[in-house]
Amino acid sequence: MALDDFPATVALRDGGSATITPLMPACSGALLAFYRHLPEEDRQVLRDDVTSHDWAESFLRKVENKEVISLVAKAGGKVVGEATLYRTLRGWTRHVGEIRVTVAATFRRKGLATALCSALVKIATDLGIEKIIVQVVENQLAARRIFEKLGFHKEAILPHHVMDVSGMKRDLIILANDVSQIWAAMEAANQDYAPHLN
Amino acid sequence: MAKTEIRVGGLGGQGVILCGSIIGKAAAIYGGKHATLIQAFGPEARGSACSAQVMVSDEVIGYPYVKQPDILVLMSQDAFTQFIPQLKPGGLVLFENELVEPDGHIPGGSRAVGVPATRFAEELGRRLVLNIVMVGFFTGVTGLVPIEAVERAVLDSVPKGTEDLNMKALRKGYDYGREQAHLIK
Repeated sequence: MALDDFPATVALRDGGSATITPLMPACSGALLAFYRHLPEEDRQVLRDDVTSHDWAESFLRKVENKEVISLVAKAGGKVVGEATLYRTLRGWTRHVGEIRVTVAATFRRKGLATALCSALVKIATDLGIEKIIVQVVENQLAARRIFEKLGFHKEAILPHHVMDVSGMKRDLIILANDVSQIWAAMEAANQDYAPHLN
Repeated sequence: MAKTEIRVGGLGGQGVILCGSIIGKAAAIYGGKHATLIQAFGPEARGSACSAQVMVSDEVIGYPYVKQPDILVLMSQDAFTQFIPQLKPGGLVLFENELVEPDGHIPGGSRAVGVPATRFAEELGRRLVLNIVMVGFFTGVTGLVPIEAVERAVLDSVPKGTEDLNMKALRKGYDYGREQAHLIK
């Protein structure tokens, strides 16, 4: 899957739909509005101050430099979800990507986050990224289920690593998906050596 | 009775057998025809000579061995050298034109057309899908099996998670094959 394959329309479980497109500079205002409307407890788990213009400008620069690939989901002309693939273009983790996803509360449990993440996994795989990680807090059970369905598994736990709005410390779980296995399977299919078929 | 004998040849690791298998599967399972596949490979998995014999017919196939192929699908120079003498007079040679140099050895009356399948596969991001580009090219040039049947056979044959890129590879080869088909008319 490549960015040329978008926009893509996603049918949601409630009968509605959303359109997924790569983030364009013209969307930055709508993206900021989306993040500013998120409840405080949702923004608490994000690593950046996503409500500031500085963040938006910096984020768009990274998109232009292809350091991040961002997909936004729109419905009714508004951004209702955003998912980003972060990657380093050099260095010893250049084969690793990280996905972060945020969906508006009214669009959760409808398959939108799954669609966004599934698209990013395919993009990452086609870019040659071999391993994708995602960080979830221990009580983000729905997010964890989404990623487990996409082939992620628990790889590490950082105990009491994050603190929620009430001051409670929670474990941070790192899920990983070794997508190199996908293409290893294709390589196996191309082996041209299958003694069991003799 | 319309019977087509096909020989796919190349090196181990190029997906020669999978290429033949998809053509046969598309014909027999999704194309309403009969097909057989016989595979041959060297003692090692990678880099040794490898070929597949595919027979596609409107009727039940009683003898599956390809003796004089109507169509050669070639992905290595060794395969070209080995199989070109077997080509049926007036037959068709489809070759990977960065790996095979026909160098004037196509028999008179035969038709030959090449495709830069390796380059296409690399442009798509994975050299590994070279064989699927070849399947698409075969489909586009010959029209022997409907592209819809081949699409289903590809989806049925490639590992989960690789479908998108393989379908793009198929389409790339098919479109190029359609463009080149007039050369063999």
